[in-house]
Amino acid sequence: MKVFKKKPPGPAISRTEALDRVPVKNRQISEDRLETGVVVIQYPVTIRPFFASLVKRFGGQEARIQMKKIELDELGTEVWDLLDGRRSVRHLIKSFAGTHQLEPREAEVSVTQFIRELGRRGLVAMK
Amino acid sequence: MLDQWKEMAWYGVSFKIPADWQPARIGNRYLLIEDEFGPAMEIKWARIKGHFSHQAHFKRLGSLQKRQIRKSVRPKAVSKEWQKVLADFEASEFSWKSGSTGGRGVILFCPTCRNASLIQFFYKNTFTNPTVLSNILDSFRDHREDDQILWSAYDIRALMPAVFKLKRYRFEAGHYELDFADRGQHIILYRWAPASVLLSKQDLALFARSVSAIRKITPVAGKMDGCDTVEWSAAPAGNWGRWLSRFKGKASYHWLGLWHLEAKNRILGVRAEGKKPLNTELLDHICTHYESV
Repeated sequence: MKVFKKKPPGPAISRTEALDRVPVKNRQISEDRLETGVVVIQYPVTIRPFFASLVKRFGGQEARIQMKKIELDELGTEVWDLLDGRRSVRHLIKSFAGTHQLEPREAEVSVTQFIRELGRRGLVAMK
Repeated sequence: MLDQWKEMAWYGVSFKIPADWQPARIGNRYLLIEDEFGPAMEIKWARIKGHFSHQAHFKRLGSLQKRQIRKSVRPKAVSKEWQKVLADFEASEFSWKSGSTGGRGVILFCPTCRNASLIQFFYKNTFTNPTVLSNILDSFRDHREDDQILWSAYDIRALMPAVFKLKRYRFEAGHYELDFADRGQHIILYRWAPASVLLSKQDLALFARSVSAIRKITPVAGKMDGCDTVEWSAAPAGNWGRWLSRFKGKASYHWLGLWHLEAKNRILGVRAEGKKPLNTELLDHICTHYESV
């Protein structure tokens, strides 16, 4: 058995396919809107067993799930509001570029980076 | 699509591409342009000293490729459709194929400016419309008569004197920057977007303070051609200060001008730095020809 077996690379998708995917919000999150109009998202984070036991040992509660908050900026809120589970990434980029008169490439980089970050935190999934 | 074209100009060469094509990679003398489906066109160029041989460059081009592609690189006579549009150049054509992808391109040598360029168009399953390729080649220029260099990428367009060499550039979402230098004098072109967001909580003068290390001097706000502008400059006071500034490591003369293009939702800026007094006529010329298209 190989101990340091190289992980097989995941199925790569083309840029066109990636842009046609539809981002969907996680159902477990809750969102609030501040007076300034920006959105604050509250989402659950599972603590690793080791850290959970460490917290318990130091007198904390044994909660395996913690809630985290993230405050979006003005542009983040705008893209977040566009996520309706029907619009594809391509559509979001087009809409974002149109609203702010941005270059298509510029809008693509901004929107895809933002969605990737949301995905990394488990706030959205792609379908 | 065929009716809409945009200009691309970088490091001495310029050409037109369909409006929906975008630069995907920008190097000092290299551009990779892509369309919706991926890489569509690539161009490399360099000044040639001495004799230029098409054969030698074909050999070199082949040797740089993987074995599978190397075998398929074939030089051939320039096709009729391209002969007419490339009449000003010494041209040779080539093509290659590897699986479902392939390419077709030309090596061009301009006897006037001694610039050699390699332009190739990629195809995935089908070739781009041949008329589009001919139009791109027809619009290709590698020198100007007025000793100035045109820079046009994404939505910015600037005309700079040829003596100013590009030292640094960055194209980040929302922030573009091109830094040119000539003998210790730097001229930096900026472009920010979207202006409506950047200026939602501050005015242009405050924004100018945030993007440059302006501390003691207050930027002067004004209006020009209907645009909000901000200007800021600093220079050593007195003869002694001016004389001393030449021996300092850092630039002593600074100028920064920003203007807000409300209709285009952009902020453009020009910054100049040098150890010697700045040429205001030159700055005026650069600002006049720096625009968002």
